Amino acid sequence: MERLKYQLKSVRRDKLCILTFFLPVVVGIAIRLLSGVSLQSISENSFGVLENRMDADTVEWLGANGTVTQYESLTELRAAVNDPSTQMIGVLQTGSVIQTFISGDELEMNRVIADTLPQIYKNQVETLSVTKTMIPATSDNDWLKSLLIVMTLVAAMFMGCTFNAMNIIGEKEDGIEFINQVLPMSASSYITQKTLLGFIGGTVSTIITALICVRTDIEHILPFLLIILLSAYISALMGLLIGCFSDGLMSGIAYIKVLMILFQAPPIFFYLTVPDSSIIFKLSYLLPSSATFYGVMDLLNGQTKALCPALAALSTHAVLWSLGYRLLRRRSGQKRNRL
Amino acid sequence: MWRGFSHLLKKDFRMMISGKFFLLALLSLCLYSGYINFVYAKLDQKIFPVCLYDPQGRLPDVSEYVTKLDSREALKAACADQYSVGIDLSHAEPEIYMLSCGMETTDHYRMAWGEAILHGNVDGQAERIGANTREMKNRREITAEFLFFELTAVGFLGLASMLFKEKQMGVIRVHGILPVCRGVFILSKLLLLLCSDLVFTILLTVINLGVSEAVEALVGVLLQAGILSLIMALVGFLCAVRLPDFKQFSLFYLILAVFVTTPVFLAGQTGMKWNWIVYHPMYHLFEAMKGAFFLTPMTKAPYYLACAGTIILLFLLSYQTLNREMAKEG
Repeated sequence: MERLKYQLKSVRRDKLCILTFFLPVVVGIAIRLLSGVSLQSISENSFGVLENRMDADTVEWLGANGTVTQYESLTELRAAVNDPSTQMIGVLQTGSVIQTFISGDELEMNRVIADTLPQIYKNQVETLSVTKTMIPATSDNDWLKSLLIVMTLVAAMFMGCTFNAMNIIGEKEDGIEFINQVLPMSASSYITQKTLLGFIGGTVSTIITALICVRTDIEHILPFLLIILLSAYISALMGLLIGCFSDGLMSGIAYIKVLMILFQAPPIFFYLTVPDSSIIFKLSYLLPSSATFYGVMDLLNGQTKALCPALAALSTHAVLWSLGYRLLRRRSGQKRNRL
Repeated sequence: MWRGFSHLLKKDFRMMISGKFFLLALLSLCLYSGYINFVYAKLDQKIFPVCLYDPQGRLPDVSEYVTKLDSREALKAACADQYSVGIDLSHAEPEIYMLSCGMETTDHYRMAWGEAILHGNVDGQAERIGANTREMKNRREITAEFLFFELTAVGFLGLASMLFKEKQMGVIRVHGILPVCRGVFILSKLLLLLCSDLVFTILLTVINLGVSEAVEALVGVLLQAGILSLIMALVGFLCAVRLPDFKQFSLFYLILAVFVTTPVFLAGQTGMKWNWIVYHPMYHLFEAMKGAFFLTPMTKAPYYLACAGTIILLFLLSYQTLNREMAKEG
């Protein structure tokens, strides 16, 4: 315990580690502060109309189907519709009919909406007798916000590797590595301390971030905690490996960057583009961060479908990476003895 | 003086080769182009699919947006994605069935869309006022973003790692006693980085936009890339000379990458309305770059005056900092 205190003290002095610790927390606060409305409005239909040139009823009807922005002149409206960063549909009214115009570079969804909107507007007059069944949403999270939260949490968990990797590299550069070899300290206690360093850093940073931006049911807290602990442990092992392989600060930072990109990008890509029944999706469990990503995403959406495979994959990763590291350590120890 | 300059150029060029600067740029070019051509250019979103359960065949003319299903269970399962709209025609009164997506307006529109399909009239053609197709828009948009990111974050890091290496080797100390003007020391680095960034810009634009579109856009794009490259190289130079070690520099880099470029991307990409973003200097550089790719070049004179002023100011600051560092090194 006393030794761990010294380790934590040296991490506390490292500005890069402190920044790494607080980065997810700051992003978590930013996500929380960004009002849900501003994030939701991105995926809503967006209509642009001319001020005072449309009936109040029509504006109200458009407002029920999406956000409505009013412009003073046609030139301004056309410029807003043409802006490549928006998916805005321009709507003009002549008598009781409406006409629409778009830029032509919109997603297929918005193109179809623009094409069919005048017809749908006309339909509201001649209503059919239809039973409307709307099952309410299980959670009020919008998908973009959930995605941002999960990305931040996964980054927080796997950033744990920075703490022990930077600590080991720093010791290497200062020559403390050689002092460690003559100190009366066993290799296993050294590894335990260094692993705990990454583990504690990753876990605490993730838990603070989660407290800020995640609201979940009580029965989901335990599996959520399990995912955090397993991921932080795997990340701490990665940190040990990075510390072992890098010979300087520059290469260490490069390794951490590559690892973060490798752990962040594929799960997002697979989650968004590949159906979860496909083989490619199942293969993505080969990356520990994918299991974490799918598990946390499921919990945020109030489901538990991907929870068991995620926990099983994370446990397997934890065991395999531990064995791998032990094997590497033994081999490098033998090599050193031979020298 | 010019002989000294050409020697400095040669030395910096060799440093860039040995620092694997060009190899890194080539790798990023392949990575970006692969992503743009195989993934981003094809991104699209389909309209809400309509699933129809119609055992008696009451809806004869089925539009292209409809998928027929055999049972009520299949209909419920298909609608579980909170995106699809279900129509059940097994009872006397038609039923529109769906799971809320959590957004009131979108749900309202989905219901109206289901009704329109039931009406059977979803024809129409909206007027197209723009010049781009979706694919070309995707290509222009993402190429602008990748180029901006490459020039701000990656180029900045490249110059700094080169300068730190020189610092470690004691080059700055040696330059203090050489009969070479200190401005030339900065100029040779700037010129090389500018040239390599411009070549990178040309390759990235031609590969991802196609030759004819690239030629149209390239003049404006090269101008913006040049401005950005000069500013970022000077900022990188200033930080690398001023900060004592690479660790502190990487800290600064992390802050730059996360807090400076992310809001700019969010505001530029999603059309989010933030009033404060106009005070963010990088936002204007990003918008000018994007405008150049979309053939709507930035024409505001104050923007160019501010850019020129910034470049001169940064150059003078770098010159002074280098002088001070050389004096410190003795």
